[in-house]
Amino acid sequence: MSSIQINSVTKRFGDFTAVDDLSLDIQEGEFVALLGPSGCGKTTTMNMIAGLEDTSEGSILFDGQDLSKTRIQDRNIGFVFQNYAIFTHLSVYKNLSYGLEVKKISKSEVDRRVRAMADRMSITHRLDQPASSLSVNEMQKLAIGRSAIVEPRIFLLDEPLSNLDAGFRAYMRAELKVLQHEFGQTMIYVTHDQIEAMSLADKIAIIDQGKLMQYGSPLDIYNSPDNRFVANFIGSPRMNLIDGEIREETSQLKLMVRGGAEIPLQGQVKSDFTSDGRVHSGSFGIRPQDIYFGDKRSTKDIEMHGTVEVLERVGPKRIVHLQVLETSFIAFDDQDQLKLGDEVPFFMPPDKSMAFDVVSGRRLGVV
Amino acid sequence: MTDTTKQPANARIEPSKQGYWAGVARDGNKMGFWFVLPTLLLLLFIVIFPLLMQLYLSVTWWTPLEGIPWYRAWEVFSWGENYWFQLTDPRVWGALWRTILIMIIAVPAQFFLGMALAYLFMDNFPGRKVFYSIMLTPMMIVPAVVGLMFFLLFQGTGPVNAHLGLPSTFSWLTDVNRAMISVIIADVWQWTPLMFLILLAGMLGVPSDQLLAARLLGGSNWQNFLKIILPRMKAVIIIALVLRAVECFKIFDLIFIMTKGGPGVQTETISLFLYKQTFGEFEWSYVAAIGLTILFVLSLIAAKGLAYMAKKNG
Repeated sequence: MSSIQINSVTKRFGDFTAVDDLSLDIQEGEFVALLGPSGCGKTTTMNMIAGLEDTSEGSILFDGQDLSKTRIQDRNIGFVFQNYAIFTHLSVYKNLSYGLEVKKISKSEVDRRVRAMADRMSITHRLDQPASSLSVNEMQKLAIGRSAIVEPRIFLLDEPLSNLDAGFRAYMRAELKVLQHEFGQTMIYVTHDQIEAMSLADKIAIIDQGKLMQYGSPLDIYNSPDNRFVANFIGSPRMNLIDGEIREETSQLKLMVRGGAEIPLQGQVKSDFTSDGRVHSGSFGIRPQDIYFGDKRSTKDIEMHGTVEVLERVGPKRIVHLQVLETSFIAFDDQDQLKLGDEVPFFMPPDKSMAFDVVSGRRLGVV
Repeated sequence: MTDTTKQPANARIEPSKQGYWAGVARDGNKMGFWFVLPTLLLLLFIVIFPLLMQLYLSVTWWTPLEGIPWYRAWEVFSWGENYWFQLTDPRVWGALWRTILIMIIAVPAQFFLGMALAYLFMDNFPGRKVFYSIMLTPMMIVPAVVGLMFFLLFQGTGPVNAHLGLPSTFSWLTDVNRAMISVIIADVWQWTPLMFLILLAGMLGVPSDQLLAARLLGGSNWQNFLKIILPRMKAVIIIALVLRAVECFKIFDLIFIMTKGGPGVQTETISLFLYKQTFGEFEWSYVAAIGLTILFVLSLIAAKGLAYMAKKNG
């Protein structure tokens, strides 16, 4: 078990910068998810932690110790590959025992630990069978068990659930959480699935184009995204992000949206943003579930009127697309009260909404 | 449309109404037989006839020198004396032993060198492609030319002696022991690349993520080689070894150019011995007997080996 400090690590492949000045501080026993779209550099980051790739710049410290000169086989890092990399020519038993046998541990001890791990992963009945005969779900368990049995200092998982069927993925998600508790392991988990990251991780590092966009607890990231990318990336359905120009009219900040819609801003933007007198492109953001219908709950709430364009049923709720001139908002209609074509008022609490600078993507002020 | 629904399609080809050829066309076996017959006859002529002729000659004393046409060889019928004679002929046993000696030294040498080289080429070092092409050139060269190359290299006044600082009286190809060594060196030089090529293909077939996983689990390179790479290459290794062993048993051109089997019979292999018997002594019936015996023994070994492998693979 180790803590990991990633200090301004950069990785270049020729002209392409895969990871750009990325710093992360991972505490002992923490479960951290590296989350981002495909090709954002999260797997490269993981490979650098494992030592499969060198860093171009910066350092990675394990308990304050630089392992960049240590050979891969001596690093004691557990790694679960996306396709599991099971030794298909060996039996399940031999797969589990591999990491112990190469360390010249006594036969009886190896046997004891293999059986304990097989029992833990409930694959005991498969021990003597060839690993190639396992189902994908069992291979997944074997891959985790094989890495866990050597008690690695950290555990790296590269999209381990992406090959599983939906039902087993949900089961394995819960199982991973239990395992992490049991092992008390520092775990780093690469995924592009925000649900996995949200449900598993203590902390999420969101990466885009090699840059760290935000690092924090799932709830933090969800409730107060640092920038437009995170706001847009996290949450399903996505946050409403309405682009326009921020203007000050009669000491009231407004977002003027193309097509004529106006959204009054109350505190989402610090006033110094517009004090230079120039026109700024801004983005107004609010999550669909924070938009409500019916009676206005607070006088501060932003009131707008929109036409119901689309209604999609998602379980007990309906997703409603509201057209305001040329702009579309997405909200939830949880009481089945709306009809297609209705022109309805809807309300947005200012403390649930946020604004971003379109150019830099950074969040404007904190509400 | 209505026609086809009322009348089944097969009702139209009634053999009795359509005559013999329709019957043949419907009977796949008969038609197939006629098509295959020319090839079968050709095969019989190419394979079976020479074999029978060889068998026939091998039980006579026939030689082309006496003016009797081969089909009248029964006039000098010898029963099985050729077969008996070869078993007691020291030159046959000597040649067989030398062939096997070359095989058991050269083939493992090629195997280990090829394996080591293949392992080196698993890494993506700069210039890998160039070295790869250079590595493969020896096996592209005609064996007779390789023979000539090494014939020149191992001359008393040749480059080998010059480089090793040996006097020109130090002979390789005419020395009782060193002639064999020279031949083996030449064979290893020429055929290590083939071994390397086959083994590298097999080694690159080992999934790289499994190798990586093995390293991450703490296995040293040597342990991972033994436990992951080697077992996964088993089939390729068997193919490479069998291929080279069979080829090595037939070795001829290299030795013919380098030493002609000499000095004396020091580098005389089975192929060279048969060649000398054929065109030196003209004892064709004797050669036929030896050739058949070798064919029989090798077939037996091959059959046993195949049966063993089939059994092992379940």
